[in-house]
Amino acid sequence: MAKSIERYLRMMPKTSGLRCSENFWYPAADVYKARGGWVVKVELAGVEPDELEVEISGDTLRVGGVRRDESVSESVSFHQLEITYSRFEKTIRFPCPVEGALVERRYKDGLLVLYLRSPEECD
Amino acid sequence: MAEKTPRKAKEEPEAAKPPAPETPAPETTPESALHESKEAGTGGGYVAPAGAEGAAAEAGASDVFEIAVLPLQQTTMFPGTVIPLAAGRPRSVTAVEAALSTEEKLLACVTVREDRASVESEATPPADLYEVGTLVMIKRMMRSPDGLQLIVHGTERVRVVRWTQTDPHLRARVRILTAPVVRDPDAVEALTRNVQALVQRALAMLPEIPPEVRTAVLSATDPVQLAYFLGSILNLGVEQEQQMLQADTVDELLQIAYGRLAHEIDIMELRTKIAAEAQGEMTKAQRDYFLRQQMKAIQKELGDDEGGEEAEAEMLRERLGEADLPEEVRKEADRELRRLERLPQAAPDYHVIRTWLEYIIELPWNKSSEDRLDLTAARAVLDEDHYGLEEIKERILEFLAVVKLRRDSKSPILCFVGPPGVGKTSLGMSVARALGRKFERLSLGGVRDEAELRGHRRTYIGAMPGRIVQALRRSGVNNPVMMLDEIDKLGNDFRGDPASALLEILDPQQNHTFRDHYLDLPFDLSKVFFIATANQLAPIPSPLRDRMEIIGLAGYSDQEKLHIARRYLVPRQARENGLDEGRLEITDAAISLISARYTREAGVRQLERTVGRVARKAALRIAEGEVERIRVDADDVKDLLGAPRFYPEEARKELPTGVATGMAWTETGGQLLFIEATLLPGSSGLQLTGQLGEVMQESARAARSYLWSHGSEFGLDPQMFKNYGMHVHVPAGAIPKDGPSAGVAITSAFASLMTGRRVRNDTAMTGEITLSGLVFPVGGVKEKVLAAHRAGLRRVVLPARNEPDTEDIPKDVRGELEMVFVSRIGEALDQTLEKLVAQPPPPADPQAEEARAAQQQKQALPEPEPVRARGR
Repeated sequence: MAKSIERYLRMMPKTSGLRCSENFWYPAADVYKARGGWVVKVELAGVEPDELEVEISGDTLRVGGVRRDESVSESVSFHQLEITYSRFEKTIRFPCPVEGALVERRYKDGLLVLYLRSPEECD
Repeated sequence: MAEKTPRKAKEEPEAAKPPAPETPAPETTPESALHESKEAGTGGGYVAPAGAEGAAAEAGASDVFEIAVLPLQQTTMFPGTVIPLAAGRPRSVTAVEAALSTEEKLLACVTVREDRASVESEATPPADLYEVGTLVMIKRMMRSPDGLQLIVHGTERVRVVRWTQTDPHLRARVRILTAPVVRDPDAVEALTRNVQALVQRALAMLPEIPPEVRTAVLSATDPVQLAYFLGSILNLGVEQEQQMLQADTVDELLQIAYGRLAHEIDIMELRTKIAAEAQGEMTKAQRDYFLRQQMKAIQKELGDDEGGEEAEAEMLRERLGEADLPEEVRKEADRELRRLERLPQAAPDYHVIRTWLEYIIELPWNKSSEDRLDLTAARAVLDEDHYGLEEIKERILEFLAVVKLRRDSKSPILCFVGPPGVGKTSLGMSVARALGRKFERLSLGGVRDEAELRGHRRTYIGAMPGRIVQALRRSGVNNPVMMLDEIDKLGNDFRGDPASALLEILDPQQNHTFRDHYLDLPFDLSKVFFIATANQLAPIPSPLRDRMEIIGLAGYSDQEKLHIARRYLVPRQARENGLDEGRLEITDAAISLISARYTREAGVRQLERTVGRVARKAALRIAEGEVERIRVDADDVKDLLGAPRFYPEEARKELPTGVATGMAWTETGGQLLFIEATLLPGSSGLQLTGQLGEVMQESARAARSYLWSHGSEFGLDPQMFKNYGMHVHVPAGAIPKDGPSAGVAITSAFASLMTGRRVRNDTAMTGEITLSGLVFPVGGVKEKVLAAHRAGLRRVVLPARNEPDTEDIPKDVRGELEMVFVSRIGEALDQTLEKLVAQPPPPADPQAEEARAAQQQKQALPEPEPVRARGR
């Protein structure tokens, strides 16, 4: 039993408290502290940049969207599946409120880079 | 999925889409999790009735949509869990492929009812499936030779509303079920805490689970999530799992999970307990072993243990392998060796077995020495060591001859009987030398325990094999000459009867399987040449006597002694006293004098000692420088040895009436015996003195009775017996005497007394008498005749039936003797009594002739004392 628990837990996304069907993948993100604000880099390959939802409330930044499989059709079939196609959501918590920050977004080479110019200086 | 309602339109990607560029990753290594995937079942060939009625009705429910169905066998998918699956059957593969060709990669997993679990490869009809399943998203897919390997993530519970298709894969319209609801919040809270407590207990028993996983499990607070998680990892069985999946309330869900988890934990605790107990036992065994090893190491340090038990056992095994053992012995020895290997060295049995094995190895089971079969050489050896003893030498040569003809002939069992000092023991050695065999001597004198001969059983502490086996081990061969010395002096009382043990050893029919108690294995003694020695035959039990070939060694005659002294004793004593060849010479006359006047024996031990004394005196004189060499003649003997110690036992020159010369046999050879009888006037009956034994007394009574009853034949007046008592005395009075052989002598003495005719003083006599007047043969004739000859008598009266025995008498003696053989008392008396009446007997009636009788007695008194004859 120990083995099965461990295996199970290793595969389980850390989704404590989430509703079952809500999200299936969580893109990886780097957060940089920069002068006058924050730089957030999210690994989001294969996503339509225009469909991305970016929300800021309080000290939280939320990035959501869907990764769709554009390749499916009757004439093709999968040989191997490793990319997760589904709705995703990434929530990043900052040490200080960021609400009202100016957000500049740039999507390049599968990476979404957000520049947050915070009005308040955070120490 | 932002919106909670599945996209109906998108679910069915019927519309043709441009073929996607081939993008499968080249690597085929499945994720580590995949190796333990569960087998998914196949959809059946059941053609669902196309739902003509359903579509519109269900379409009203916003949650209903159509989807590919994957039947699961023996497992249940729960929402929120991630599980590896394997799809092998064509229908399953098709279902998965259909799901993958949709954008959402969603699939419904429905478990096959347990009791309908189909046989492998058999198609599962939709009726065999439960109605509630789980909507899963395929997260990973790999192809392997066996089919597809999947990792799926459960999302929502779904209920099958209607089966829509069974070929090429199962499809159904399904409705999403709502998450379980909480009915009694307190109960749910209580159950949740209980379950969490149990999970903690379970984790405590599973130390191998890494800490980050622990935290993850413990931080799972959502009761539904927790319950589904437990459902997926516990082995609940399809039915219970399905029950959990279908539970609509959190209460019910937790109830099942809790019950199952508690059960599981009980089992785990039991297992831990069993394991702990086993561990405890193991630890004790390990501790013992460890301590023993330590002890061994200490012993090695102390030098007690040269290479240890194994080395010792190994050495024994090696020696056993080299030893030439009979099959039966080898089997037994191997068995004991195996026992030995299992025993620790400290065990008392260890040394018992080891000693036993060493005995087994060292015993000469099959090893014999080669006999020297040269008859002339054997003869030479025997002659060189012993003078005379023709009979024995003959017997040895006979045996050699037989062995020469038949190699496997049994060795004889001889018994040498003879007085001390005649060379029985040395003869045994010389037999061994003549045959070229080893010589072993066991002295049986005073042995009183048969265990001395046959060993103790190995169960006794300090048990040893018997002397026979020990002697064999010493000799190293199985055919030595084994001398059983003094066999007539074996003890026999309440403490044991070794003679009976000898019965087996000395029986040629039995001794090829002689079983020593210690060895407890048969040993073949039939090749051993046994020679027993005894001084007397009488004490040897007759069954034992019967098993041996008795060879008598009589005492030596003076002539023989002279030879022996000249050839063996004088040279040996000279050598021992440091006198070289030629320094000491003892003349024959001197030797004869020494043997006659300074010794009295049948053998030659005393003679040798006396010769030794002469040699020492000679050595003294030579050492003092008085002389260079010494020649001892008869005249010098007295100077060297002092006055003679013995006077020759000579016949009495003058015998009064009533005295006869008898002959006796003793252990030291023969002797003369004088029978003295007198008449007792006025008395009656018979008086016997001189330590006469029962047999001799009876013999005297028989003699008297015979003469009384046959008085007329010999001119006797029967009245004499009535009126006179008789007294018989046999000097020397202190020496006990017994035996019937004095019968003739006693009769002669009585007859002499009654008739007044003297017994011839040149005649010695022997022979047993009977009441009917017969003379019976007696033993020891040779010794007796030799004694008579020594005493200077030249005439002996012997029983006729003893004539053959006289062959043994040396020729020189025989030539000087007149031997008269008699078979009746009448003949004997004719030969022993003088014809003349030297002294008339007293009157038959003493009252009438009292005065005369008194006178007669007065005349008898001055009868001269027997005079010892000086010089021969």
